[in-house]
Amino acid sequence: MIHNTKCECGHQNHTGTILCESCGKPLADDSGTAPLEMRYDGVARRSQKENPGWLDRIWNFFSSVRNAIYMIVITLIASALGTIYPQENTFLNIDPSVYYKETYGILGHIYYLLGLSHTFESWWFITLLFMIGTSLVICSLDRVLPLYRALSKQQIRKHFHFILRQKVSFQEALPAGKAGAPAPSEEAWIEQAAAALKARRYRVHREGTALLAEKHRFSRWGPYVNHIGLIIFLAAVLMRNIPGWHMDQHLAFPEGQPVKIPETNYYLKNEKFTIEFYEESEMSEEFRDRGQQVPKRFETKAVLYRCTADCDDPGKPPVLEEVHRDDIIVNEPMEYNGLLAYQFDFEQNPMLLSVKPSLKDKRTGEVYGSFELSMSRPAESYKVGDYTLQLKAYFPEFGLDASGTPITLSNQPKAPAFVFSITGPGLDPTGEPYIYFPRQIDKQTFRQDTLNGALAEKLELSVGSMDDVGISEFVSYLNIRVDRALPYIWVGSAIFMIGVIMGFYWHHRRIWLRIDDGVLSLGAHTNKNWFGLRKEVAEVLNKTGYSIEPKQLDREGVRK
Amino acid sequence: MGNNRKWVQIAIFAIIVAVGALTIASNLFANNEKPSVGGKAPHFTLKGMDGATYELSDLKGKAVVVNFWGTFCEPCRYEMPAIQRQFDKWDKNKVAFLGVNLGESKVTVANFIEQYKVSFPILLDDNEEIRKRYGVTQYPTTFFIGPDGIISDIHKGVMDDAIIEQRLAAITQ
Repeated sequence: MIHNTKCECGHQNHTGTILCESCGKPLADDSGTAPLEMRYDGVARRSQKENPGWLDRIWNFFSSVRNAIYMIVITLIASALGTIYPQENTFLNIDPSVYYKETYGILGHIYYLLGLSHTFESWWFITLLFMIGTSLVICSLDRVLPLYRALSKQQIRKHFHFILRQKVSFQEALPAGKAGAPAPSEEAWIEQAAAALKARRYRVHREGTALLAEKHRFSRWGPYVNHIGLIIFLAAVLMRNIPGWHMDQHLAFPEGQPVKIPETNYYLKNEKFTIEFYEESEMSEEFRDRGQQVPKRFETKAVLYRCTADCDDPGKPPVLEEVHRDDIIVNEPMEYNGLLAYQFDFEQNPMLLSVKPSLKDKRTGEVYGSFELSMSRPAESYKVGDYTLQLKAYFPEFGLDASGTPITLSNQPKAPAFVFSITGPGLDPTGEPYIYFPRQIDKQTFRQDTLNGALAEKLELSVGSMDDVGISEFVSYLNIRVDRALPYIWVGSAIFMIGVIMGFYWHHRRIWLRIDDGVLSLGAHTNKNWFGLRKEVAEVLNKTGYSIEPKQLDREGVRK
Repeated sequence: MGNNRKWVQIAIFAIIVAVGALTIASNLFANNEKPSVGGKAPHFTLKGMDGATYELSDLKGKAVVVNFWGTFCEPCRYEMPAIQRQFDKWDKNKVAFLGVNLGESKVTVANFIEQYKVSFPILLDDNEEIRKRYGVTQYPTTFFIGPDGIISDIHKGVMDDAIIEQRLAAITQ
């Protein structure tokens, strides 16, 4: 069936047009009295086409605001569920497959099985976000193009039915003159009205005895600008998937040694961690009663290095070049080339880092020399004076297994033991074994001197003072982040705000009027704030000789 | 005007589908932080105790056993002889054995392999980067990787000859 879409004014409209594009006459519901459907000025939209093909069906799905709202609500609920238990991406060393069951019981296990433990990275959540983005694009396109067409070619002289069926309308004979003066001519009255409207910042267009006054059209574009902002925002979030654009790691940095930042070429050293606690005098009465130690300020003096050579060689230490140095406190990260290091946590965990023992002659007390012995990566041999100490074995946490063989109980230097083979003057040329425990308590527990036998009476390896001992008192936990998408997110958000302000603080108002045989017919439309519009129209009319209340203009109220 | 609009529609949808496919694909692939059975084994390049460089991609076409271990871990020490026996038994052109040591010093590892007479390649994961890449949180953990680079089994905990043989039989058809 081909519908006739040619209006009586002669204009040929698209199929699906509700109000004639030219004169505004309602094409279908002409005999009704209800206020007109003014959405998009009654122009045909792509999604309202008849006989939709498959492409049109997809388009219609995404251009429906109702569907968009469903998608947003589902995403909202999913996001809320994702905050019930801690997410997998915050775990450092925890195994998710057992953690939820152990900590939260059966509910936690169901949570894990449903995949909610990584809600925000799951494919269905990303798909939802992506569908919302698509619907943003298509909703906007579907509406903005017809709207732009409709608003940019507006006719000034509208059909009576159009004018009188607006939500704000008025029809009365032109007012008589004041106190005896002759009634103003149609032309004169229109001039007055135009002047009054211009004074209220309307743009006035005239065509004989018809007039169109319009203001703040730009606010109609507000929602579309804010949608563009949202699309940029979403696109920026999706761009984080580009390799190198996003990193979020939580790492531990004990004092004194550079630690590699995985997946980068950077090393970070926690040079010194300091912490200040609140004094009793600084706390309030109740706080003091709690007896807690409250940190006042803690900071990490951090140094950032880049590896320039020997980066992947496990035999050799990497060659590091210092590139940046900063003090990190909570909320004030260290920044270098887009890499950010935030203070996240700390732990008081005293750990031996290195010692500088001296080799002495036990009998004469002569010191042959000293060397730096690292607890994490000791060298394979050390030259001290005329003696050479070759490292044969190293046990970070010395212990004996079931059969009495020396083993290490862990990878942490909690009870370090070094087995050297010493060669030099007065010693067997094939080397004599010597076991060394840097910690005094281990020396006694494992009876170092007994183990070393005769050699213990000739040589002594010991640390002179605490200055020769390198200890890490604290472990500083830092959150290392890279987020190159952030500037785009800011831009998207700014555009969004501009769009919101455009749409909220100004409203698009239009007033049509025409004079036929001394009778004024007036219709007005706005997208928001009808009360304000009625007030304004009433004021303009009262300035031009009428005397009416804003309430009279309200067509919906007049029905009583 | 009508036909033009249809092409615009198609163009818009094409862009959206392309972006969508990229997003979802990169999400599915990049989020393989923790490799799992049936997934691809993450690549690594590590130096061995013998000084040679070992890359996982070089071993494509062979079944690979990757055992994460440390001298401080008792079950790891316990299963070493079994792994060594299996290494001697299987054809070296068909099966490769790699022991990845978890960040211990060279001398500690050297001592251990001399004591236990280990002859299969021991690689040093100096800063535990590969341990994190493979999502290993308990020791020992052993990955059985097929000749196509797909993980066939992840065994957490101690192994014996029977377990290793069974797993290898599955990937050396």
